Amino acid sequence: MYELFKNLGAWLVGSEQWTGPDGIAHRLAEHLQYSLLATLIAAAIGLPLGLLIGHTGKGAFLAINLASFGRALPTVGLVVLVFLAGGLSMLPVYVALVALAVPAIVTNTYAGMTAVDPDVKDAARGQGMRGHQVLLQVELPLALPLIMTGLRLALIQVVATATIAAYVSFGGLGRYVFDGLAQRDLVQVLGGAVLVAVVAVVLDLALSGLQRFLFRHRTA
Amino acid sequence: MNLPINRRALLGGLFAAATVPALAACSSGITSLEGEGSAGSGGGSSKGGITIGTANFTENQVLGYLYAAVLDAAGVKVNVRPNLGTREILIPALKGGDIDLLPEYQGALLHYLDTKSTATEEGEMQNALTVALPSGLQVLPYGMAEDSDAFVVTRETARKYGLTSLADLKKQNGRLVIGAAPEVKKREVGVVGLKDVYGVEFKEFKSLDSSGPLVKGALRKGDVDVANLFTTDTDIQANDWVVLSDPKNLIPGQHVVPLIADRKADSTVRRALARLGNTLTTAQLTELNRQVDKDKKDPEDVADAYAKEHGLVKQSG
Amino acid sequence: MTIDWSWIGDHTDDLTTLTLSHLQAALTAVFLGVLISLPLAVIAHRIRVLRGLLLGLSNVLFTIPSIAIFVLLLPVSGLTRTTTVIGLTVYTLVVLLRNTVEGLDSVPVKVKEAAKAMGTRPLRTLLTVEFPLALPVIMAGVRIATVMSISLVSVATYIGDGGLGQLFTDGFQRNFPTPVIVGVVLTLLLAVVADAALVALQYVLTPWRRRRA
Repeated sequence: MYELFKNLGAWLVGSEQWTGPDGIAHRLAEHLQYSLLATLIAAAIGLPLGLLIGHTGKGAFLAINLASFGRALPTVGLVVLVFLAGGLSMLPVYVALVALAVPAIVTNTYAGMTAVDPDVKDAARGQGMRGHQVLLQVELPLALPLIMTGLRLALIQVVATATIAAYVSFGGLGRYVFDGLAQRDLVQVLGGAVLVAVVAVVLDLALSGLQRFLFRHRTA
Repeated sequence: MNLPINRRALLGGLFAAATVPALAACSSGITSLEGEGSAGSGGGSSKGGITIGTANFTENQVLGYLYAAVLDAAGVKVNVRPNLGTREILIPALKGGDIDLLPEYQGALLHYLDTKSTATEEGEMQNALTVALPSGLQVLPYGMAEDSDAFVVTRETARKYGLTSLADLKKQNGRLVIGAAPEVKKREVGVVGLKDVYGVEFKEFKSLDSSGPLVKGALRKGDVDVANLFTTDTDIQANDWVVLSDPKNLIPGQHVVPLIADRKADSTVRRALARLGNTLTTAQLTELNRQVDKDKKDPEDVADAYAKEHGLVKQSG
Repeated sequence: MTIDWSWIGDHTDDLTTLTLSHLQAALTAVFLGVLISLPLAVIAHRIRVLRGLLLGLSNVLFTIPSIAIFVLLLPVSGLTRTTTVIGLTVYTLVVLLRNTVEGLDSVPVKVKEAAKAMGTRPLRTLLTVEFPLALPVIMAGVRIATVMSISLVSVATYIGDGGLGQLFTDGFQRNFPTPVIVGVVLTLLLAVVADAALVALQYVLTPWRRRRA
């Protein structure tokens, strides 16, 4: 075990390890690209859906059950299925990552919306606000903390799961994990895993920082 | 203060929750800790049954099930674990006792164990293997069937760069992309040997799979220029791809050879596997692979049918 | 992409075996996860300093790709079911620990004080007052962990296990969609059935809540 971690140190700081197409810098950039794009797409789908369900109260049962169904989708199976249907491209990876992220975003957005005090909404309407005004100016700001929790959860899962891109020949930090498995090079596997974890933690901290920045006026 | 907790219902429920998975866990077969010792006296014994492991490509699974068919006919209890991974994963598992027997390939196995070995002739390699293998493992006599690694280009690429042999690749150093399973990057019969023996350097190595959909798809699409495939893959002919010749004998002979733990290698096992080895030809193995890959038949069924057809097991029914 | 129905008919035995093996891996992991997370949650709930540490640690474990955990366990437990179960258990911890701590937190202080005033010992209070009251939140965690485990088992196909996941690698290697579709559908079915069973279990475990519903 000690040996493994000592070698990991050498692997992480080796200068030749950081450059070239299989270098850490390039793999890191790929991994960030996959994760951020997938989370953005998922947010573009999940946020409006969650807001709409939360605001109207319609379709909640269906959406929540679909979301828990989505959580059960096996990522490996989904990647292979889309690959067999559409051939080799990044599409299978993005489909699987988005399918993973959407449920967390929808359920948390919906939960945030339902947690808004009905009296507050009534008061807003009483002041003559229209439906979309209530949604955007009252409900959304109040639901934002839970919405952000959903986004952070989705992002962490996507970063960890983007590893799968390497299974269908693409890059990202998963390359080290899958190549290390094939070569039984545990240092490489551990290196890849540590880098993925670091990326996830850093992105999570960044989002929580953003969240704190957005709410700075409220805590004061 | 009134808490109407029905304690009996609670305890009963907890008990039920606890027993379901616990019962299931009984059959979980934690095998990693057993099977280490038993080698003991000379020949070993297959009495306790044999677990056959296979690598992550079609042919290896076909071979695994062929071993299973003939061993089963010889009265040995067998269990096949398909698709376990690469040689780099399987050999430690064989040493550790998770599996007992593994279909291997002479040259590739030898290079894995001893990267400096110069043996190329079958008998020579067999001897070298016996020396190179760690204690506790042995190879049984090799079979007739052979499946080599091949470095393959499309007809078009061959024409464009004037490629007929591996030596020609050097002229295009730094320009071509090679696609292969990840382990080939570090293997002697792979990127390492191509550089040492032929002085070839590629622009990029793409990690794909073992003669599977990724590497063949990438070659077809032109994402890679050179692909590492197996000679028993019928897609080479079907696509009119060009196998680069190997004038300096980088790629050793690759006869199929059973690799087995000493503890299980008794005379029954030796006899059954030797008979299979002396029956199965390269052409037949290629055809069995095709049936699995193209006709979507189960490797197990294909292997059983072959064994029956060639009198390796008693005909029943 | 057509489904080869005859393949399904010819493989019902194999599919049953894979499904059971899949379920067993997932349930064993959740069971072990509950065993580990209950005492840890009590510690996290009681000792403020350790709370952040334990929850933080389980969060970090969650960020490690599952495939990497399986591979890194190979020197320890080899190509076995044990490796699969340990890997999955690690992933259940984050959900189970968080929910159990939240469940314990949700027990009103007054209730605990009342138990203390009546002379109930701390351990007894924990077992007969706190856990039962925390049960709904704990069970919510168990449900999420179970569904998540069922979906994750298939990753272990990369180390030769993985229950229904074997259908994915097989279909991939042979360009054969039928086993993949069947594997996805069976995984979803397993998740739905397991989740329904847990809802039923919770109904049985919390008889005092039925009156309210």
